[in-house]
Amino acid sequence: MAKYFGVDKIFAFLRTIKETGGIRASLYKIYRFDNLRPGTLVGTDKFGNKYFENPHYFYGRNRWVEYAPKYGMDYDGSQVPAEWFGWLHYKTDYLPTNDPTRPKYEWMAEHTENMSGTPGQFMPYSTTTPKIQAWVPPKN
Amino acid sequence: MLKVLTGVCSKVGATLSKRSVQTCSVLQHDNLFVHRDTPEDNPGINFEFSSENQKRVEAILAIYPEGHKRAAMIPLLDLAQRQHGWLPISAMHKVAEILNLPNMRVYEVATFYTMFMRKPTGKYHVQVCTTTPCMLRGSDKILDTIKKELCIGVGETSEDKQWTLSEVECLGACVNAPMVQINDDYYEDLTEKTTKEILDEIKAGKKPAPGPKNGRFAAEPIGEPTSLKEPPPGPGFGVRKDL
Amino acid sequence: MLRLTVSRALNGAKSSPTCLSVASRYQSDQKKPDKIEVFIDDKPVLVEPGTTVLQAAAMVGVEIPRFCYHERLAVAGNCRMCLVEVEKSPKPVAACAMPVMKGWRVKTDSEMTRKAREGIMEFLLVNHPLDCPICDQGGECDLQDQSMAFGSDRSRFTDIDFSGKRAVEDKDIGPLVKTIMTRCIHCTRCIRFASEVAGINDLGTTGRGNDMQVGTYIEKLFMSELSGNIIDLCPVGALTSKPYSFTARPWEIRKVDSIDVLDAVGSNIIVSTRTGEVMRIVPRVNEEINEEWLADKSRFAYDGLKRQRLVTPMLRDNNGDLNPVDWEAALITVAKVVKHAGNSIGAIAGGFADAEALIALKDLLNRLGSEHLCTERTFPLDGSGTDLRSSYLLNNKIAAVEEADLVLLVGTNPRFEAPLLNARLRKAWVHNETDVALIGPQVDLTYHYEHLGDDPNVLRKINEGDHEFADKLKRAKKPLIIIGAELLERKDGGALLSTVQNLSTKLNSNEDWKVLNVLHKVASQVAALDIGYNPGIDKIKSADLKVLYLLGADGDHINKEDLPKDCFVIYQGHHGDRGAAIADAVLPGAAYTEKQATYVNTEGRAQQTLVAVSPPGRAREDWKIIRALSEIVGAKLPYDNLNQIRDRLDEIAPHLTRYGNAESANYFKQAAELSKKTESAIDCKPIDVKIKELQDYYMTDSISRASPTMAKCVQAVLKQKQSACN
Repeated sequence: MAKYFGVDKIFAFLRTIKETGGIRASLYKIYRFDNLRPGTLVGTDKFGNKYFENPHYFYGRNRWVEYAPKYGMDYDGSQVPAEWFGWLHYKTDYLPTNDPTRPKYEWMAEHTENMSGTPGQFMPYSTTTPKIQAWVPPKN
Repeated sequence: MLKVLTGVCSKVGATLSKRSVQTCSVLQHDNLFVHRDTPEDNPGINFEFSSENQKRVEAILAIYPEGHKRAAMIPLLDLAQRQHGWLPISAMHKVAEILNLPNMRVYEVATFYTMFMRKPTGKYHVQVCTTTPCMLRGSDKILDTIKKELCIGVGETSEDKQWTLSEVECLGACVNAPMVQINDDYYEDLTEKTTKEILDEIKAGKKPAPGPKNGRFAAEPIGEPTSLKEPPPGPGFGVRKDL
Repeated sequence: MLRLTVSRALNGAKSSPTCLSVASRYQSDQKKPDKIEVFIDDKPVLVEPGTTVLQAAAMVGVEIPRFCYHERLAVAGNCRMCLVEVEKSPKPVAACAMPVMKGWRVKTDSEMTRKAREGIMEFLLVNHPLDCPICDQGGECDLQDQSMAFGSDRSRFTDIDFSGKRAVEDKDIGPLVKTIMTRCIHCTRCIRFASEVAGINDLGTTGRGNDMQVGTYIEKLFMSELSGNIIDLCPVGALTSKPYSFTARPWEIRKVDSIDVLDAVGSNIIVSTRTGEVMRIVPRVNEEINEEWLADKSRFAYDGLKRQRLVTPMLRDNNGDLNPVDWEAALITVAKVVKHAGNSIGAIAGGFADAEALIALKDLLNRLGSEHLCTERTFPLDGSGTDLRSSYLLNNKIAAVEEADLVLLVGTNPRFEAPLLNARLRKAWVHNETDVALIGPQVDLTYHYEHLGDDPNVLRKINEGDHEFADKLKRAKKPLIIIGAELLERKDGGALLSTVQNLSTKLNSNEDWKVLNVLHKVASQVAALDIGYNPGIDKIKSADLKVLYLLGADGDHINKEDLPKDCFVIYQGHHGDRGAAIADAVLPGAAYTEKQATYVNTEGRAQQTLVAVSPPGRAREDWKIIRALSEIVGAKLPYDNLNQIRDRLDEIAPHLTRYGNAESANYFKQAAELSKKTESAIDCKPIDVKIKELQDYYMTDSISRASPTMAKCVQAVLKQKQSACN
């Protein structure tokens, strides 16, 4: 009965707020992600990003990531490490924690986010000598 | 000689030309026209004219008028070469100093003339003429004999610094071919035997008499003259009677 | 060793008008011989007796190919390229060495002439490597051009399979000239230049016949301050520029006519640039100044223009470090300081300052109420001081030095202070029997001179007439006294100048002949004095300044200790050198290749440089910086473009904008009279010059100090001086 009047939606909404940690936390989450969804926490990566799943939603919306609080509003897709990327984009249904096909080698580099636009970005440098060498004043 | 060389070169050229960009034999000189410092020949070695040569220097300089003293360059270089046996660079510097000229002007002259020996040269400088008349008269054999006797090749100096052998172009004694020049003396009309004798005599410390070695006095025919036997005709010979 | 050039010996015709006038002066007292008529390709031409076939052909516009012949060198006649047919002569004759005879019919384009040229060209190419693609001379090579124009289209050279191609060892003659001696065609131009013009007899031919080679015989540096000229003289790529090697091709460079500022002679140069970079500097013919020679420093110090440059304005922070800032911040800071200082602001102009910047700075400071405008170089202010131009110019002009019959050099070493003036002196000494005497330290001038000691009192004695040289001077028809500006920087400079001025007026018999000549060392000095700067920085040191404006002042004349503690130093210039090191604010200016600017040389000749490349980074033309600053300070200068500032120059001194003209000075007698009031006396301190030896010559100013090539030269000279063969 309640289904027909949409009362269950109100209950679900209230449950979601409760799961999220209250009105304040929920408002903050909406502010950050423009979204508020109930979901099961399936794992956390080493950067602190949390991965959720809720099969209630249709395919394509049922897996998502909530970026670690340290990123604030400066989150972007490249902060998802490669192993979680596969799960997130339905390349695999195994979670990285129990994925038998995923080898681990010593030479594998640590995941880094895209540094473009930050001081850490890669800058190509000229290999030719400059035409003009500027004077560098002596430092005291 | 040239033919052999040509043959070798063309063979080398044929094999190389397939792979290398250009075939070119190396042009080699018997003499170097730049100076290289060596222990025997460097500007650090002092050269002075001996006291008697000093007098000769003054005599030579006195020949040339004031303002043209640089004409004494060749006699002075020759004097230095006679004193030292060959012409070291410090001797050239000395001559330049005497004539008050830049060193380069002396180098130019000393390198131009082949008779200035700018390399250490033995006490006896044997110059074998191998130009056409001498070659036709057997100078190659004479050269081989000398090489064998002195155990040195052309352009080399013996280890005891006594002998230097060089092959030279015409020395102007074609009538007495073949011939060699040892220091200032010409030895002419040579055979392998007489060549050996001359070298042995010099080795023994004697000075063999220069000139033809086949009994001729100069360039006259051996034995009887073949022409111009009658006394020379007087004036008016062959002139028309009516004059 | 030195032969008179045929043209000079026979008073022959010269191609250039200046030389013609010089030659005609010699002839004036002789009876003029009748001209003779010859026919060049059936064109009649009247020439002086003794004119060579080649010169006669040049008069009717027929150019005969040549390699060894050069107008300014003795005739050698050994390349044979100039062979031409003369009617009724069985053999072709060498046009460069053969004087024409009356009625000769010369055929420069006949069958025989062409065949002779083709034959010679074939012989030359037999002994020349075909390495044009890797040769630096490619594109500006006489051999290339002439083989195209006069050579045959095929060769019979087969000896490559037998005795091989001629190969000659390369010589190491220093860091400036690169030698590839296999390319040498034995024209002996370099040898003749070295012994006749440069006076360094280190080059010669060694060996004979096919083994002949040009070189130094021993390994030796070509120790001349004019060595770069043999690169221009070399008709092939045997002698090329080492710093320029493999950097650019002649067809890809842009050429800009300019003026050299590294000495006070003002040599005419061509700046070759590519992609906004100065690639090389070569001389431009100017018969009145540098003929076609150029001194090594002027030619090779250009790589100093790319090093140690000021590319951005800088301000000194609280830690005492100079930090780059943008123009706005720099100009506002400087303007604030200048405004605050009021009229206690001074300026020092350095050796590279151009007339536009000098006038702009002077106008600005005058508007602010200051008169503390000085040049780095001192000049005595006793007597007429710098009011009369005749006291500080090389009045007799550089070209006329050749006509002198007696030259007295006082306290100068022209060989290194003005190498091209010294080349003129040597030319006069060689060809015109000019005698030279020197008061000052004994130095090597490449020609013989009478050394009168280094006691300044000799000058006084000569003036008073109790010195044997005084008679010689009196007897001389065209005496010349050249006094070094460096000598006048002494404490008794005024007394010395006064003595020379009085001596000169006594000797001056001819109105057109100026005995008194001052040889400056820096390019800016004459313009600065013309504009009205005070010579010397004593005034700056004594004034209690709050702001000091250094306009390219790098001469180490002033340092922080001379100034009040709170004095704010502004440096405007193009190099980070001594001036920038003590500055509180640095404003980057343009070097002489980067601006259109006026310079006045030591003879008072105004010339202008043109823009060859743009100033690097944020650097700007100097007068524009001052103009911009004036607006912010609130004393706006009334000129917005080059024409307007040149109108202002014209207002002050019209000769500053008459480019190419040397404005003569006068009032010699008045200057001498005024100078008699000089109170100081000549002291006994011996006369000294700063640059005595070749190694001191290369690095004298901010550009050459920044040049790696010049540093290499200094090293090479020092090394050569230590070796046994010197």
